[in-house]
Amino acid sequence: MQPFSYEKVTNEHEAIERARLGNATFVAGGTTLVDLMKLNVEVPAALVDINALPLNQIEDQSDGSIRIGALVRNGDLAQDSRIQSRYRVLSQAILAGASAQLRNMATTGGNLMQRTRCYYFRDPVYPCNKRQPGAGCAAMDGYNRIHAVLGVSDKCIATHPSDMAVALVALDASVHIRGANGERAVPITEFHLLPGDTPHRETVVRPGELITYVTLPSGPFGAHSAYVKLRDRASYEFALASAAVALQVEGTTVRSARVALGGVATKPWRALQAEQVLTGSTANTAAFRNAADAALTGAVSRRYNAYKIELAKRAIVRALTDALMD
Amino acid sequence: MEAPQIGRSVHRKEGRAKVTGQALYVDDVAPAGLLHGVTVRSPTARGIIKGIHFHPTVDWDEFTIVTAADIPGVNRVKLILDDQPYLASDVVNHPEEPVLLIAHRDRARAEDARRRVTIDIEPLPAVFTIDDALARREIIWGEDNTFKRYRVNKGDVDAALAAAEIVVEGEYETGAQEQLYIEPNGMLAIADRAHGVTVWGSMQCPYYIHTALAALFGIPAQRIRVVQMETGGGFGGKEEYPSIIAGHTALLAWKSGRPVKMIYGRVEDMASTTKRHPSRTRHRTAVDRDGRLRAMDIDFIIDGGAYCTLSPVVLSRGTIHAAGPYSCPNVRVTGRAVATSAPPHGAFRGFGAPQSIFALERHMDRVAAAAGLSPEEFRRRNFISSGETLAVGQTIREPVNMPALLDRALALSHYREKRERFARENARGGKSRKGIGLASFMHGAGFTGSGEVHLRSLITVEVSREGAVRVLAASTEIGQGTNTIFSQIAADALGIDCDDIEVARPDTLDVPNSGPTVASRTCMVVGKLVETAARGIRHTLVDSGYLSVLYDREHFRAACERYVDAFGALRATSQYQPPSGVTWDDEQYVGDAYGTYAWAVYVAEVTVDLTTWETRVDDFVAVQEVGKVINPTLATGQIEGGVAQGIGWALYEDVVWREGRMANAQMTNYIMPTSMDLPSIRVYFEEVPYPNGPAGAKGIGELPMDGAAPAIFNAVADATGAHPTHLPLTPERLMSAMETIGA
Amino acid sequence: MPDRRSVRLTCTLNGRRLSLDAHPMARLLDVLRQQAGLTGTKEGCGEGECGACSVLLNGRLANSCLTPFAHADRATIVTIEGIASGDDLHAVQEAFLECGGAQCGICTPGIVLAAVDLLERTPHPTEHDVRAALAGNLCRCTGYMRIFDSVLEACRRLSASRA
Repeated sequence: MQPFSYEKVTNEHEAIERARLGNATFVAGGTTLVDLMKLNVEVPAALVDINALPLNQIEDQSDGSIRIGALVRNGDLAQDSRIQSRYRVLSQAILAGASAQLRNMATTGGNLMQRTRCYYFRDPVYPCNKRQPGAGCAAMDGYNRIHAVLGVSDKCIATHPSDMAVALVALDASVHIRGANGERAVPITEFHLLPGDTPHRETVVRPGELITYVTLPSGPFGAHSAYVKLRDRASYEFALASAAVALQVEGTTVRSARVALGGVATKPWRALQAEQVLTGSTANTAAFRNAADAALTGAVSRRYNAYKIELAKRAIVRALTDALMD
Repeated sequence: MEAPQIGRSVHRKEGRAKVTGQALYVDDVAPAGLLHGVTVRSPTARGIIKGIHFHPTVDWDEFTIVTAADIPGVNRVKLILDDQPYLASDVVNHPEEPVLLIAHRDRARAEDARRRVTIDIEPLPAVFTIDDALARREIIWGEDNTFKRYRVNKGDVDAALAAAEIVVEGEYETGAQEQLYIEPNGMLAIADRAHGVTVWGSMQCPYYIHTALAALFGIPAQRIRVVQMETGGGFGGKEEYPSIIAGHTALLAWKSGRPVKMIYGRVEDMASTTKRHPSRTRHRTAVDRDGRLRAMDIDFIIDGGAYCTLSPVVLSRGTIHAAGPYSCPNVRVTGRAVATSAPPHGAFRGFGAPQSIFALERHMDRVAAAAGLSPEEFRRRNFISSGETLAVGQTIREPVNMPALLDRALALSHYREKRERFARENARGGKSRKGIGLASFMHGAGFTGSGEVHLRSLITVEVSREGAVRVLAASTEIGQGTNTIFSQIAADALGIDCDDIEVARPDTLDVPNSGPTVASRTCMVVGKLVETAARGIRHTLVDSGYLSVLYDREHFRAACERYVDAFGALRATSQYQPPSGVTWDDEQYVGDAYGTYAWAVYVAEVTVDLTTWETRVDDFVAVQEVGKVINPTLATGQIEGGVAQGIGWALYEDVVWREGRMANAQMTNYIMPTSMDLPSIRVYFEEVPYPNGPAGAKGIGELPMDGAAPAIFNAVADATGAHPTHLPLTPERLMSAMETIGA
Repeated sequence: MPDRRSVRLTCTLNGRRLSLDAHPMARLLDVLRQQAGLTGTKEGCGEGECGACSVLLNGRLANSCLTPFAHADRATIVTIEGIASGDDLHAVQEAFLECGGAQCGICTPGIVLAAVDLLERTPHPTEHDVRAALAGNLCRCTGYMRIFDSVLEACRRLSASRA
């Protein structure tokens, strides 16, 4: 059924007011929302259309960072020459996801807010704690080959599907969120929440808050970065495991590193232990393998997804190798 | 006389309508007063229906509601054993089994109402695997959970095995596969007591529906009319299932007195309708030191789901193809179709043969290795030739030259050079391995055994006074090219141009029953009838003296005018007659299983990524002998499409089951190949005309489904040394196959 | 059908300006098929996977099954019905007939639009470009080979007509 109310807004203040009062859902590109409304997974009572907001620019900032408006389309972001030259891993990650049709519609903010592709979440026939808190989880003892091994709880093992967000983690991005009390910047690693006991809460965005921008700091990682995505087919498929890595290298020594994982965790995953192993090490396959082992320390597999632990390690090693070869 | 049309890539008859978006599929029409129908289905695999609750917040008076009690005739889908109800009334036997139908003029309201009906079910124990069905701890169908058994026996298998020097055993499994036609199932119906029942929709077999509706409504067949709309793909998935959706739609129309349309959403279509039967095959093969087959003992089991539907005939084709194109003195094939608590599995391109051929061709590579021969040399020594006898006792009469097909496939794929080079390169190590593998196989065209004799297919060709020719047949165009090849066949038989031929839309009011559009029979069997009838027209015109032996289009038109003025209607009807000497014994299961076979050798080249266990097909060569090729572009497209489905089945398409229900019933979670996944598929034909086919053509549609999966698996084995046996070969399955060999 | 929550939006559809009424969150696909009567745009999956519903929205290929009607506001939309000029087929359509690019035809409208979009951006695509451009359009009949041929043939025809 269609939502009861729909309103198009033209400025941020208005958007926030409407959403705060009406407990509304924002709609931008609409790709996730239309899909999940049809499946009856999302049934928003009220919608606020934010497409008219002036948040569709990619802007260089005076401090060397880049500010990406929340309404910038994924396709435009991936094709932007500044992104392609300075933040290549982001461009690679976006182009590794979805199809041209979807990238033309989906927005930066919407990509961060997209929902899991867990079959049990997407099909209301099955119980799902994310869809209906307390209902139970069909994935736990179901066919869970696509499910997470990191950041899991006993309530939810659904993976976060975004490729873009994994690259943003490797790039130390921040998400700017505006609410009635002003704007705050949240590091991307803190933007998504672990499922814990409340898998229905997926991000720190509160009702009435609006994502306005994503900023990418001018980092030392431009030279050596890569996104590797492993999936069941070559196009338009969600990751079984993916790795976004960025390295700062002096000679053969890794000065600093960023390692992020997709497809294996309940949120876009920063592998801090892997980064620690890499920092100060000599950049070679042995070090990469050590880092990969560290990244998956603490992974918890279920009946059908144990292979993902090894697969993710291999994605990390390959991404680190690719990053260095450029 | 027009130049011959057969052998030319004449443009698709309905192509212009398709490339401009003008072609009308069932969801493209909406008569005034239309209601939208939806189906309420069982949430449970098996149980007793205790009650149906209608949520009180809905004003149910606005809706048309149909239950089993509303069925005027017999609540069984007429097919083979007629064991499947249209609507469950007291028990449910699989998840998603239809229980109740709802219609409303607003499609969203109907969808919403569907979710506000609760079916109370007291669960009964269910059966979810072939092993559980065989264990018979729970009997869910008949006396022993078995729909059908076949036994093919040639020679003395036990003695040959006991005496054998080398015996190789193997077990192989294939998963279910969704047809995934891009147009979901859909029907539109108008029905009432005064006018009978008319349905329009997406289908392969109008007369299956026609027969089914007559029984469902208990009214004479002449009051039923079935019309095919443009159909967006079938692949077997619209062979038997459309009888159910047609019945449901017509029941709602009958009760409401309004036109009703039911269009399945993708989730519903995937979760509720038929799929390729999962299978398990065990082989025990004896071979001598010279690499000659001495005995083949094959146990072939398919999972039929909760009702019998087409499982016996799927099993039959799989059983007959299980021993392949080889000459072996002692063969035993035991075939069983068993019941599980899943929606019934059904027709899908190949119809059981891809399952048993996958097992056989994977196994033959292992037998070759045990005999110390290369896969190609082993096959060469065992290929059947003309005059030899298949396992079912059928003596091959037509010329067959498998070694020539093999040589051509090996040459086109640079098989030997690559096999050696890949072995050298693989030995050097690295992150990937390359391999090349082959499969050799045959596929019987037309219905199995005495099927065509029972069908007694009919077609009509009629010509107007103006010389316009119409071909009337129930054979459907579902993308494979029926309209176009019938036009070509009729045009050549009449000596006129394709553009002067119209192939009538299948409408049971107009067209005779030319049988179902299945089993690679449309070109060979029905096409032959078209040729015969069209030739009859030509002979009639010549014999009447109105047409000379040599003529042009204007002469033809003039002759038609004079004939019709003199004698009235000019039409010819042709009915199937079995070719002489073809016999089949249903009881003993011996004889000529098929009128003829198409023969093929396929070669796949793969790269296996040792880091990720991903398999990529780099090149694919498909060489086949299919008789005369009527339309090279269409025929090539058939082979390429079938190979693509075979690649999907081999590598990507994994139906995830959860208590009998498909859990990944969405395109986002059930993945078929995209444009980025497929190699160049290179197609080559050998043309050995078959005397009983039109212009020498044989069947073609199913053949390409058989060869891709085993060729790919054999290539993976060549690349890695592993022995993958379970399809699809997902990364984790390859990982475990690699672990088995300690790699 | 319009209800009290519908809005009236004006767009340019296949070169013609018109107003349409629907709920702003109605799927553009449904509005095109039911309100505008353009049934050439097909629904294959309703989840943005198959691309049968592809249209050109402001010059970009989009899945109309996931596009809210609100996006049609002042937009330029081209559907399959807007590709031929009267009886004259577009070169892509001619090439699909010649090379066997259409079988069952249900994916064909979306694929023709994807091909037209590709050739407007990249007049001389490689086979890889063609494969990448069609990766959001599923075809179950052809195995894509005849479609690749069709797009490359269309490219030749367009180049010849420009020369």
